[in-house]
Amino acid sequence: MTVKAFRTALVLASGLLAAAAQAQQPGAPAATVIAIPPLTTPDTGAKGNQMLAIAWQATQLIETDLRQTSELMPLSPDRKDYYSYPEVTAPSFPKWRDRGAKALVTGFVQSRPDGRYTVGCYVYDVEKGRELARKGFAIAPADLRRAAHKCSGLAYQAITGSPGMFDTRITYVAETGSPAARVKRVAMMDSDGFNHKYLTAGDTTVLTPRLSPHAARLAYVSFQAGTPQVRIVDLDSGQQRPLLPGNAMTFAPRYSPDGSNVLFSMMLGANSDIYVVNANGGAPRRLTYAPAIDTDASFSPDGSKILFESDRSGTQQLYVMNADGSDQRRITFSVAAYSAPEWSPDGKLIAFTWRSGDTRRIGIMNADGTGERLLTNGPADEEPSWAESSREIVFQRTDATGRPAIYRVSLDGSAPRRMTIPQDGSDPNWSGTMD
Amino acid sequence: MRKQLFLIAALIAAPASAQLPFLTKRGAPPPQVPVQSPIEVMRADFGAQSGGTTVYFSPGSAQLTQQARTILTGQAAWLRQHPAVAVRVEGHGDPTDTRDHALALGAERAAEARDYLILLGIPSAQVSTMTWGKERPGPPSATTIVQDLSGAPAVAAGG
Repeated sequence: MTVKAFRTALVLASGLLAAAAQAQQPGAPAATVIAIPPLTTPDTGAKGNQMLAIAWQATQLIETDLRQTSELMPLSPDRKDYYSYPEVTAPSFPKWRDRGAKALVTGFVQSRPDGRYTVGCYVYDVEKGRELARKGFAIAPADLRRAAHKCSGLAYQAITGSPGMFDTRITYVAETGSPAARVKRVAMMDSDGFNHKYLTAGDTTVLTPRLSPHAARLAYVSFQAGTPQVRIVDLDSGQQRPLLPGNAMTFAPRYSPDGSNVLFSMMLGANSDIYVVNANGGAPRRLTYAPAIDTDASFSPDGSKILFESDRSGTQQLYVMNADGSDQRRITFSVAAYSAPEWSPDGKLIAFTWRSGDTRRIGIMNADGTGERLLTNGPADEEPSWAESSREIVFQRTDATGRPAIYRVSLDGSAPRRMTIPQDGSDPNWSGTMD
Repeated sequence: MRKQLFLIAALIAAPASAQLPFLTKRGAPPPQVPVQSPIEVMRADFGAQSGGTTVYFSPGSAQLTQQARTILTGQAAWLRQHPAVAVRVEGHGDPTDTRDHALALGAERAAEARDYLILLGIPSAQVSTMTWGKERPGPPSATTIVQDLSGAPAVAAGG
């Protein structure tokens, strides 16, 4: 939005640190220790003090972001570790080496004549004593949080090689009321939990909100018309419209990676098939014709393939086809049922809901169907959605009393963590990085 | 259609109100026995005469059982006698299914029930379908609901 890169981001690949982390014991936490001394300012006098206070806020936001990851372990920032503006680009590496840090973030916040701030971030490899990446932004004061998230993303990418997921949004269905009469509303928040808001009023059942890649639009299923139908929300204007005219039952919407198309499922009599339509409307194109339930389609990150589930073999299994519907082939062959698949943003993995009897668990596999691994124990886990980093998944876990909550699980084998939301939640979906 | 619907309802409702003459009295205290609206009376009659409003399915299946066919045959007989009454078949998926497959399976169950009613001679315009997926607690089923076309919002709409 108003965060604009004013300097070309120089992101140096840093396979070195990532390789060092991976060389540790498999299964053991391999977090890279990162120092985040308080950001400084070139401003002086009263303005300098004011900017230092703002820089301290940014520092704490970066620490909070990085602490949520399983790959990075931030040292707690200490205000006594003040450094001068010139030291932003010439840090004291031995000092941070002595404290056990492998990486370092420095930066500054500077006031601008137009009332905005300049924020600069620098990431260093402490052991090698060299810069890994730098980035700068001119921001409105209200966008300090987002600038801090961009800094966190810069550090995360420089160290792990994967894009960060700090400046992203999560949408889900907020649930209140008794199990027999649930009130469901589409909710959306920034991935740090800020800016939580409701997009529907709760007067009608809603399901499966899915964000467009940069979180500008959202598709969801509403029972407003009496049957389930996909609706589209423009998140800037708040305007809503049905994806298709008419009263056909439509569900399971997913944006294409460029946001231009929407995949969805539609009932034709007793038959559910997969269709694609331009995100702005027009005539849908049918992609599957099997006399079985074909649903939950999602694109590969390059847009060339579509992953979906079908029970055409008798049980729910995962299939891949070309984006035009050709060359449909099965990729899972097991007695368990596989459903609700989603391709990881880096294209390498597929997350899915694994079901056997009444037990539902979250699993991942390679994009060709090999290397299956279950990440959660259930017994009622479903609706996985990838973080932009391709290293973490958000999903729904229902407890024994039937109340659903939103959890995050990392691929490193650590236990799932419950996200803090104002009420029960289901059907989470994680966007890519915002523009 | 609206006029006919009330006419039938009034006939059915007559015995009930005859037992409670005080209900006609203006300003009387709230009755202990709930007063049934015409649509509720009609729905009760439909369920009683058909042998049931709901047909059940095996988990993961949309195939009509023999028992389901018997109930749908009863529903078709009632619908033939009430050609002006529209019904909606609401399908339910399995509670332990995933969200979207449950929606599709519920829709498939509703469509199978509707197709059977049509096979028994009920005009397709008289029977619509929808699916709740796993949004309503209960076993895998399809429930036929007499639609209230009197202008009030349908009972199950929204939610």
